Amino acid sequence: MEMELLLQFCINGLMLGMMYALVAVGFTLFFGVLDVIVFSHGDTVMIGSFSGLSMYWWVNAYYPAMPAAGTAFLVVLAAVSVVVLLGMGVADAVIVPLRKAPALNTLLATMMLGTVLRESIRLFFPDGSNPHPFPGLLPDWSWRSSQLTLRFDNLALFCSGALIIALVHFIINRTRLGLAIRAVAQDEEAAKLMGVNFRLVVLATFAMGAGVAAFAGVMNGIYYNEITFGVGLLLGAIGFSAAVIGGLGNVFGAILGGFIFAFLQTIGAVAMPFAAAYKDVFAFGVVIALLAWRPTGLIAEPASKRV
Amino acid sequence: MDESLLFDNIHVAYDKADVLSGVSMEVRPRTITCLLGANGAGKSTLIRALFGLTPPRRGSIIFNETDITGLPTHRIVGMGIACIPEGRRIFPKMTVHENLLMGAYQERSQAKIRSTLDRVYTLFPRLAERRSQLAGTMSGGEQAMVSVGRGLMHEPRLIVIDEPSLGLSPALVNENFRIIRRICEEGVAVFLVEQNVRQTLAISSYGYVLSQGKVVASGTAESLKNDVQVQKAYFG
Ligand SMILES: Nc1ncnc2c1ncn2[C@@H]1O[C@H](COP(=O)(O)OP(=O)(O)OP(=O)(O)O)[C@@H](O)[C@H]1O
Ligand SMILES: [Mg+2]
Repeated sequence: MEMELLLQFCINGLMLGMMYALVAVGFTLFFGVLDVIVFSHGDTVMIGSFSGLSMYWWVNAYYPAMPAAGTAFLVVLAAVSVVVLLGMGVADAVIVPLRKAPALNTLLATMMLGTVLRESIRLFFPDGSNPHPFPGLLPDWSWRSSQLTLRFDNLALFCSGALIIALVHFIINRTRLGLAIRAVAQDEEAAKLMGVNFRLVVLATFAMGAGVAAFAGVMNGIYYNEITFGVGLLLGAIGFSAAVIGGLGNVFGAILGGFIFAFLQTIGAVAMPFAAAYKDVFAFGVVIALLAWRPTGLIAEPASKRV
Repeated sequence: MDESLLFDNIHVAYDKADVLSGVSMEVRPRTITCLLGANGAGKSTLIRALFGLTPPRRGSIIFNETDITGLPTHRIVGMGIACIPEGRRIFPKMTVHENLLMGAYQERSQAKIRSTLDRVYTLFPRLAERRSQLAGTMSGGEQAMVSVGRGLMHEPRLIVIDEPSLGLSPALVNENFRIIRRICEEGVAVFLVEQNVRQTLAISSYGYVLSQGKVVASGTAESLKNDVQVQKAYFG
């Protein structure tokens, strides 16, 4: 195979990897802090895509003269604010009240919540059961040679994603809020005894995980130029797998897991060009094998598995 | 202003089993008050009730003339009550330094945090040497220092200490008692749960004995030294 085609695969893989990493960060944060798997997280991403799209329509209808950068900003802002509010609502209404219940109940509740989110979009969003084209938002500058296309929007999205991850890292490791988040993750009662407002920390964590997911939602729309109400199912499964590969509760691991998953998909696509649809089957298959080999994820943390 | 801590007729139950039934006691400001009792008597449960971790079924807890029963834990801590909990409960994956910062979590003034840090590091030079080591990798005795130091970082009005010398060498136990006395001399009220009856009574001014969830004896430390209930609780 030619070098340039391979490079193209790499670029696509990096884009997907960043998207998965952003989703996986949420899974791993929620698990680290509260020991819960929030199965509706993938559908939260989807809500981000649709909130962004709604904002795009609104801007187009009322301010068609808005410059592209302004539109892009408003779309991301809409996606992030809706999803952050949704995330905090879910934390306050579902996750915290179910704290003392068996973990299985929380699992079930968040799975059902995911279904509610999906079905709400399908039923109540205009023409919600059909795929919707998602705007490019960014100028379509690109650099291309015979087989390789380096798109400006991809580069911009990738860099923004990296910035967001760096920001999350900074918040967790360098701020007072981050100190409280880590304290709650390591010993909830001890954190409370130090004067940490538990509910506030949980809300902040969910806001952060959801905000990051919302950006992944917009990224997903731009990358595929299309969104559907069901997009969160696969994204959720992939994000969750990525978080598990990296060792649940470990932010760095989740990011690594995201890129590993995208890498596996890419290998699947390259190795089986005749059956591109099997790339997910291949990737999930390898994930299962990886987990059989390292049940606690690739990044071993013997003592505890938290943030 | 009366900075006493009052427990009034406290009842606590885990699930169905009653652990505390009608406990009343008082912790006076600027004194060391100790709580004695056999294993399983309900001492740690009373402390959990105080901090709202296991809220009482009945009864009320008053601090500084304010009813704090059932408040969220961080509000209770915010009133100036610090806790050195049973089992140390340090944050294992934080550095020693970060653990200490957690102790001053509610303090917003950086200058104040720095001066308290200096004080704690002077008190425990070992912690200063190891400030960037992960607390979970410290030795048991060092972890006890982290826990005590973290409690002091609050600059509390009242400090509640649950078995700080469990598992420590005699030398460190003595060191611990010396520090507790010093905390009290600085004007902080101390509510102390300890197994070293003799040493505890030696530094306390007042004490209570808990047995099966009830106060079976109370009085000045002097009077408790020869109390039969104390003998019964610890020596059977
Ligand atoms: N979470 C819990 N659920 C059920 N029972 C509990 C729980 N915590 C404590 N208990 C029970 O409550 C009783 C009092 O426990 P507590 O920890 O208060 O004792 P203690 O006086 O602190 O003992 P020790 O000196 O051993 O620390 C014990 O019988 C214990 O088994
Ligand atoms: Mg105890």
